[in-house]
Amino acid sequence: MELKDFTKEIERCSACSYCKWIPFDHVKSIRYAKNCPSIDYHNFNSYSARGRYLTSRSILRDQVELTEEVMDIAHTCLSCGACDVSCKISRYNLEPLEMTRALKAELVNKGVYPEAQKVLLANLKKELNIFGESRKKRGDWARDLKLKDLSKEKAPVVFHAGCSYSYDEKLSGTVRTAVKILQNAQVDFGIMADSEMCCGARIHSMGHVGEFEKLAKANIKAWEKAGVTTIVTACADGYHGFKRLYPELGANFEVYHIVEYIDMLLKEGKLQFTKEVPLTVTYHDPCHLGRLGEPYEAWDGEEKKFKNQIVVHSPRKPRYNGVKGIYDEPRNILASIPGVKLQEMERIREFSYCCGAGGGAKESYPEYSQWVARERLQEAADTGAEVLVTACPWCKTNFSGSQEEQDSMQVMDILDLVQQAL
Amino acid sequence: MSLTDKQYKELQSIVGKRNISRDPGVLDGYRYNLSHTAIHLGPHFDVLTPRPAAVLLPGSTEDVQAVVKFCNKHKIRFKPSSTFWSAQGYPNDNETIVLDMRRMDRILEIDAKNMIAIVEPGVIGATLQAETMKKGLNCHIQGSGCSCSILAGATAWLGSGPGNLYGGWQYENLLGVEWVLPTGEILKTGSLGNDDSAWFCGEGPGPSMRGVLRGMFGTKGSLGVFTKCAVKLHAWPGPQSLPVYGKAPAYTTKLPSNFRAYTLGFPDWKAWAQTAHLMWDNGIGYTAHRQFNFLGRDLKWGMIQILTDPDKTISDLEELIQEPGFKEANDSMKIDFQLIIAGMTQRDFDWQEETLNEILKITGGYIVECMETDTLRNYTLLYLLRLGHKALNLVYGGGYDGNFGMINSIDFGAQRAEAAGAFKREWEKKGQIVDAGGDCMMGPIGGQGGGGTGLWENFTCFDSADRESTEGTLAFFDASFEYTKEEGWSGCGFEKLNAMARGYDGYETPREIRDAGHRNAPQPDVFRFQNKVYQSVNPLDLGDTYYERLED
Repeated sequence: MELKDFTKEIERCSACSYCKWIPFDHVKSIRYAKNCPSIDYHNFNSYSARGRYLTSRSILRDQVELTEEVMDIAHTCLSCGACDVSCKISRYNLEPLEMTRALKAELVNKGVYPEAQKVLLANLKKELNIFGESRKKRGDWARDLKLKDLSKEKAPVVFHAGCSYSYDEKLSGTVRTAVKILQNAQVDFGIMADSEMCCGARIHSMGHVGEFEKLAKANIKAWEKAGVTTIVTACADGYHGFKRLYPELGANFEVYHIVEYIDMLLKEGKLQFTKEVPLTVTYHDPCHLGRLGEPYEAWDGEEKKFKNQIVVHSPRKPRYNGVKGIYDEPRNILASIPGVKLQEMERIREFSYCCGAGGGAKESYPEYSQWVARERLQEAADTGAEVLVTACPWCKTNFSGSQEEQDSMQVMDILDLVQQAL
Repeated sequence: MSLTDKQYKELQSIVGKRNISRDPGVLDGYRYNLSHTAIHLGPHFDVLTPRPAAVLLPGSTEDVQAVVKFCNKHKIRFKPSSTFWSAQGYPNDNETIVLDMRRMDRILEIDAKNMIAIVEPGVIGATLQAETMKKGLNCHIQGSGCSCSILAGATAWLGSGPGNLYGGWQYENLLGVEWVLPTGEILKTGSLGNDDSAWFCGEGPGPSMRGVLRGMFGTKGSLGVFTKCAVKLHAWPGPQSLPVYGKAPAYTTKLPSNFRAYTLGFPDWKAWAQTAHLMWDNGIGYTAHRQFNFLGRDLKWGMIQILTDPDKTISDLEELIQEPGFKEANDSMKIDFQLIIAGMTQRDFDWQEETLNEILKITGGYIVECMETDTLRNYTLLYLLRLGHKALNLVYGGGYDGNFGMINSIDFGAQRAEAAGAFKREWEKKGQIVDAGGDCMMGPIGGQGGGGTGLWENFTCFDSADRESTEGTLAFFDASFEYTKEEGWSGCGFEKLNAMARGYDGYETPREIRDAGHRNAPQPDVFRFQNKVYQSVNPLDLGDTYYERLED
């Protein structure tokens, strides 16, 4: 949907500010009651969903110039969706996340986006990854694992490593654990190796919808050619892309995050943890696996009114409010590891606080992105846990990169814990 | 007149570069869309409040004082707002600078022994409640819900809400106040005026200013800036944190056996009012509110099912109200209210519950059966204790406001509820407002001092994106005003109470209109007195027309 398609919705936002807080029923302290990193850091109303509705209204009516400040209002949104969950506690006819995405796309179409994103786009065009790393090195992480190369062979399951796991050497052990689990479970799978491409989800969250669609269509075509019916990934961003965004373009694959796969293997008795890992941990729900990890539901309907002025949809419109995200599976895994004790943070599951890496903020607004990560690290530290566990390479990297010298909190991918327990 | 570059830099040097903006893209986040809900103004389609000259985010009392002194020096109006819930928190001209008090959001102290909390403007009901519960206490949360500023509820508006029964109105809880006067001087009121650490009393020893500073309806951000205040806290016989279960939005709680929520139904309004009187006479109940009826007499059972089932959406309402058994269940709570009993001990709870049962025997009231599931009882408990679903007011089409405001004895409202509902039902037939069954009356069972009065409003919902609906709603409000005036009801004009401050264009109303309105009030001398207060503390007229005064 384009920004102009939100004209009615803009008039229906009540500016109640629920989008700035976690669902109020869950507030346990003043310290961790807020949910939107963007307004937490910048403080002006305009940096919240309610403000972005108003800024969008002014843009649609040509009442504001597209200044650097307006660009920042749009692009400092992490696209984490926390506002969406809180808004929908009370509303059934607003989509603040979708509206903000449309706002970003509107600005992108007008050439208004941070310089840093131009570099990412150039990298993508040249090397099919946002880091600008050589596409010929994409499969290096798995070179010795003798996995099927689905650019040449066929398999029903593709393991998509994603840009971060493919190129960040610090993460290669993590991603190798994921494929070893699949190997041990005798799954018939392969990887796209050097032919793997960025999923596009990150640039989608920055508003570059056209570029995303090109990548998504290319990925879909390559997988179809390889006979793929199922996608497994360890990247939360990729998961969101494949689960929610790709079906809008006609993709029809089963999609699993590796935590779902491991949980399934544990339940079937095909995987057992044998080693004790005596750690007190807290778990960070990645936005794209949690509230944005809900499955896509096709809908082709229209708005109508009932009882004069009640705004409803016919047929019933799918409701994305975070409740069908992936929350229990990683917790089941942690509970299955001998010695691991889970201490929950206050903001968890559908109202988890973002790590700060989303929406292009890490690249475009690094100081802000790191501030957000430190906010979350503090929340983790306040639980008394020794380790912050997550299930997303972007979260892990942003947390690790934002730590200060004196910080003692370890940051681990859940796969690293799994590896220790096997 | 907009700020000169020199003036802007002067302000920038006070609050810091990060905490000031005059970029139109930022300023438009400080405009209020009058199409959807203006809170007692009447909706105006396609009208926004004026774009302010600048917005500032002060971080301390010193910042605020310096900004106010700057405003005095340059004769520039300022408008502070904490949580921006309604149109009255926004400026009504383009020359005003907005003070967004968001950064001043600390709870400075919770004095459990003396049952006092000292807060800054940005502290909201949810956060103060969460912190006070840890100490076995609770705060009053005003009817605008737990997203709103505690300080604003106590100083700037009425502060009535479901918690009136235990907490009175919020202004009754107001103790010491740190007040940056419109001149830039700082006045500490109540006991605080005598001793910098004594927040315990709003009326002294020290300047007894509570009534003066608030006036009749509160200052509505027009009489300087309140930078800190103390509020009275109340007993909380529950856990240190509200346990929450379930999936969004159908969150529920489960509290110990000294808590229970009830939906009470009645055969007629006389029984309804008698029950309220007997509750007060016997001192039972923690929170009492006619809550879910805001969804409409004809629709509420359907909406309750939607709100308590995460798999349902509002698009299911059409089918739900056709289901077998719907009418019977809905009719069983036609005349109703919700009650929470919280026993200070189990014995106290048992006694209160037994007393309630005796009262119901006398009045003919009953506990509504369809609401007697664990899920619905626990949903009601959480809903009313935290008051975190206030934005449901807007669930139907994005617009709502309340009319037939009856701040009076509970019998007054009860005797007029059917007539008010019938009047509204006729307007619902015209098609511009939601056809919800006429009676959408909601409000607390208990007012000032915890009992004796009620504050009712009949919710009117509409589609704020639809010109016809919005304008039809305004016409209904005008008709309501005429109807209540003809009938001689109190609360006349409640739906457009703030229309004397702001006109149809979003800007301030001319003085002659304001004066005419206040002159026609039942007690115009109140507003003459408020004018004297205004002139004495605000000689340069740096506030706005929301502070109600009669200038003749």
